[in-house]
Amino acid sequence: MYAVRFHGRGGQGAKTASRILGTAAFLSGYVAQDSPIYGAERRGAPVAAFTRFGREPIRERGVIAYPDLVVVADASLLEDPAARVSDGITDQTILFVNSPLHAEQIRTQSKLPGRIMTLGVTEIALQHFGQREAISALLGAVAARLAGLQQEPLRQAIARELGDLGVAPPIIERNQTVALMCYESVQVMARESAAEPATRATIFHTPVYESPCRGTARISASGNSVLRETGGWRTFRPVLVADKCNGCWLCFVYCPDGVIAMNQDDRPVVDYAHCKGCQICVHECPTHALVAEREQEGGVAWTAK
Amino acid sequence: MDSQMMTGNLAAAWGARLADVDYIPAFPITPQTEIVEALAKWCERGDLAARFVSMDSEHSMMTAAGAAEVAGARVFTATSSQGLLHAFEVLYSISGWRAPLVLVNVSRALAAPITLESDHNDVLAARDAGFLQIHAETCQEVLDSILMAYRIAEDERVMLPVIVNLDGFTLSFTREPVSLPDPDMVRRFLPPFRPSHLGFTASSPQALGVAVIGGTSYAYFRHQVHLAARNALEVHREAAESFHALFGRRYDLVEGYRLEDADDVLVMTNAGASKGKAAVDAARAQGQRVGLLRLRVVRPWPAEAIRQALRGRRGVAVLDQNLAPGQGGILYQEVAACLYHEVLRPQALCSFIGGLGGQNISAGEFQAIFEQTAEAGVAGTGLGPVLLYSAEEHREMTQLQMLAGGNA
Repeated sequence: MYAVRFHGRGGQGAKTASRILGTAAFLSGYVAQDSPIYGAERRGAPVAAFTRFGREPIRERGVIAYPDLVVVADASLLEDPAARVSDGITDQTILFVNSPLHAEQIRTQSKLPGRIMTLGVTEIALQHFGQREAISALLGAVAARLAGLQQEPLRQAIARELGDLGVAPPIIERNQTVALMCYESVQVMARESAAEPATRATIFHTPVYESPCRGTARISASGNSVLRETGGWRTFRPVLVADKCNGCWLCFVYCPDGVIAMNQDDRPVVDYAHCKGCQICVHECPTHALVAEREQEGGVAWTAK
Repeated sequence: MDSQMMTGNLAAAWGARLADVDYIPAFPITPQTEIVEALAKWCERGDLAARFVSMDSEHSMMTAAGAAEVAGARVFTATSSQGLLHAFEVLYSISGWRAPLVLVNVSRALAAPITLESDHNDVLAARDAGFLQIHAETCQEVLDSILMAYRIAEDERVMLPVIVNLDGFTLSFTREPVSLPDPDMVRRFLPPFRPSHLGFTASSPQALGVAVIGGTSYAYFRHQVHLAARNALEVHREAAESFHALFGRRYDLVEGYRLEDADDVLVMTNAGASKGKAAVDAARAQGQRVGLLRLRVVRPWPAEAIRQALRGRRGVAVLDQNLAPGQGGILYQEVAACLYHEVLRPQALCSFIGGLGGQNISAGEFQAIFEQTAEAGVAGTGLGPVLLYSAEEHREMTQLQMLAGGNA
């Protein structure tokens, strides 16, 4: 069985990429399984998806603890412990990171084991589609290449999965073309049978339970969302062009996360430690005083403290 | 037969479509919504000649479902978790009306605290509601079980509603290959619903489920529900044989996996049983003679099939993905009860509680379950309930408590 784990942020297409790989494997004659995992969070929150394929019926379900291949859709996830990108990665694991940086730079920054490779998929998507989100087919193609699948089932899988999402045929065709470019530009890496550590019986653990008086899930640290910095979710940041701002406060009103404060001159001040980069303020600003600027250095917008 | 990648939810929608249902009252809830979305789309496009109605709550939805069924329509609906509980009083009415509809429940743990992922406290809360219950392990089984459910529910010896259960996320959002049965063959397996005793005409009005004060008539009808549910054991067997003959897939009340020479047996339900089977394979590779018994039909309770599978074993572990506070595992109690009079009952019956709210059960935890069950079997003393929790999970929990201010 070949096991691939995708990490992305809500809206980046990690789930669709996982499905494209699953369908491509299925069309190649394998038994395949794919499944996403996410919470009630919205766009930008860390999500994961899992694709397994092989010749035998697949009995594993859910989380992939020991992946053969990990595909990271957003380099900022490497910095976020909650995303758990590093789980089960060994020296044999292939780790693909969507980043314009060199693999060695990612290795130095992340200190992760694994055979790292990179490609600036977001840059390719921006160049060909003008959209940073349009990377699902491209990531699916990279994964298909690294997992040893052929081009034709990949083409069909892209058509099927994007078609299911209601994407128009001409756009599907462009996705196929650009995806195959990505497929070609990734070097095949032979699978090194990752020696899955021998299973040892878990020693069950009895936690220290609090008093029954404190027996429900409760948040007593008021304003504790300050502690959960979400600035790393951004690929684009809203930036103020001060002389265009008319002080109407609409950005303040529309910001779904309350991270825009107004100063004494009625100008917005963005809390970049928590702004998730949804760009609703940019969209709503009537005078185009807020503009979206691409985050630099491989898309790592904010490193949580 | 055409095979395609499909989620458990889409497979459920296909089950309703192939059963050619007439009426679908609906209300959305995660992780079920994809089912009614697919059905809404098909009804809109004319792929399915059913009336689709969005209701204002699950309570209204189930009331409408039962009412339409006793008016003679073949009815399908779906819900999950809090939605099932919101509809709860109507469940008992529907079985009491003897309305043989099919309800899909996508298991999701119950609040509080709130979560989205699966455990079986929702569906097992309904175990005494007079609905039959089929718990599916795979996406294929979801689809096939819906077809079998209609055939069993509508059988004149049964006339009871059926819940088909699948795990949220683990199955509802997981795609795997599903073979779509041929519609003509489905019609041979499941003829159109033409109940001679159901239907409403203005010229001959009736009242159903009326008040019956004093226990005599109440007990008469409740006993009848129990006996009809027992009849479903035989009706299920017939349906399974017919289904196997037509489609080549066989579903019994319980499924044994590598039981032949097993010393110890792990008892599970639903999609988690796939992981249990993988754990059995891993333990067998280490030379341990273990097997798995999956309970597929939970109502009626397949006592005889369970006795046959567990008779003479050394250790048996029931892994409940549910928790009855103050008691333990729900299925453990029922397994224990049906083994009480068995002369060759297992040396030890162990209870494990795991997978609550979608909690992962690791390969190491399965290994520990097998080891502890073997030891208990040798010692001849039962064990549990053991609440599965690992030191790693506790570390994660402590971190969250700190963020929430709980340890302050």
